[in-house]
Amino acid sequence: MASGSGRLRGLKENELSLVFGGLFLATLLGQAFSGLAEFNAQRLTDGLAQVSLLRYVTSSSFAVDVMENWQSEYLQFFLYIFATVWLIQRGSSESKEAGDSGPESDRAQRVGRFAQEDSPAWVHAGGWRATVFSRSLGLVMAGFFLLTWSASSVAGWAAFNGDQLRNLQDPVSWPGYLLEADFWNRSLQNWQSEMLAVGSMAIFAVYLRQRGSPESKPVGAPHDATAATG
Amino acid sequence: MSARRRTVGISLVAAALLLGGCGTVSDDEVRKVATTFAATHDADTRCALLAPATVATLTEQESSTCPDAIGKVRLGSGRPVAVQVWGEEAQVKLTDDTLFLTRTPHGWRVMAAGCRFRSEQRPYDCQLEGS
Repeated sequence: MASGSGRLRGLKENELSLVFGGLFLATLLGQAFSGLAEFNAQRLTDGLAQVSLLRYVTSSSFAVDVMENWQSEYLQFFLYIFATVWLIQRGSSESKEAGDSGPESDRAQRVGRFAQEDSPAWVHAGGWRATVFSRSLGLVMAGFFLLTWSASSVAGWAAFNGDQLRNLQDPVSWPGYLLEADFWNRSLQNWQSEMLAVGSMAIFAVYLRQRGSPESKPVGAPHDATAATG
Repeated sequence: MSARRRTVGISLVAAALLLGGCGTVSDDEVRKVATTFAATHDADTRCALLAPATVATLTEQESSTCPDAIGKVRLGSGRPVAVQVWGEEAQVKLTDDTLFLTRTPHGWRVMAAGCRFRSEQRPYDCQLEGS
C-alpha cells in the first residue's frame, strides 16, 4: 500500500513531463505513418517500388524530417534561455524586471556563500563545477542544437542524394550539400516559426492571461507588471 | 569502467558496424547487377534486370517486346569504376556508360541506362529510362 501510494505520488509529481513525453511518442508515430504515405505516393508517381514502414523509419527521409524539427526546437530554447538573461520585455511574465538584466548577484542566485543547505551539490562544490552548473541549461540546449543540426545536415544530405539519383542527376558531397538551397530552406523554415512563437509568447503574455498557468501573470495583474507568474 | 558503460560502448560500436556493413552489402549487390547488365549480350537477361517502369516505357515506345526493343538501344558494356548507393537509389559509372538503379522487392534493378551527362542542373540524357 505504501509503495503503491509512493508510485502514484511519483506519477503525479511528474505528470507534465509524462504527458508531453506520451504526446511526443504518439505524434512521432503519427509522423511515421503520414510520412510513409507521402513517400510511397511519390514513389508510385515515379513508377518506383514502395517501401515498408520499417524501411521508411530507418531511411534518411524520415531522419531528416525528424531532425530538422528537433534542431529548431533546441535552437529556440537555447536562444530564449540566453536572451532572457539580458533582454527585457516590459509587462511580460516571460521577462525579468528592468534593472535585473544580466547574470544577477550571488545572493539572488543563491551561490557562493549564499548557497543554501539544499542547493545542488555542484553549487556547494564551487570552482569550475559551480560555473558550469550555473550555465548548464543553456549549454545543454546549445549542445543538443548543434548535435541535431549536424544530424539534420547528414540525413538531409543522404535524402537529397536519393532524390538526385531518382531524378537522374549526380549526388553531391556533404560540403556541397551545405551550400544547397535544400539545407538552408529546411533550416530557415523551421527557425522562422520558432522565433515567431517565442516573440509572440513574450508579447502576448503582456496583455493576455491564462488562469492557473505559471506561464501567465495572475489574471488581475496589471499589463505593466513584469516577471509576475500565475 | 562500469558494466553499464561497457554495455553502452559495445552497443554503439555494434550499431556503427551494422550500419557500415549494411552500406557495403548494398554496394556489392548494386555492383553485381550493374556488371551483369553491362557484360551480357543476352536481351532476355538485360530485360530481367530492368525496373518494371523502365520495361513498360521501352515496350510502349517501341511497340514491341522488351527483348526485341532493347537491342535497338545503344548501351555501354564496360566495367564499373564508381558505385554510389543512397537509400533506395544507386548510380554506377561504367567505363563507357552511366547506369541508375532502384531497389525493388526482387532486388536492385536498372532504372536508366545509356546515360550521358549534360550539366549539374539538368538530368542525365538517357537512352533507356522509366517515365
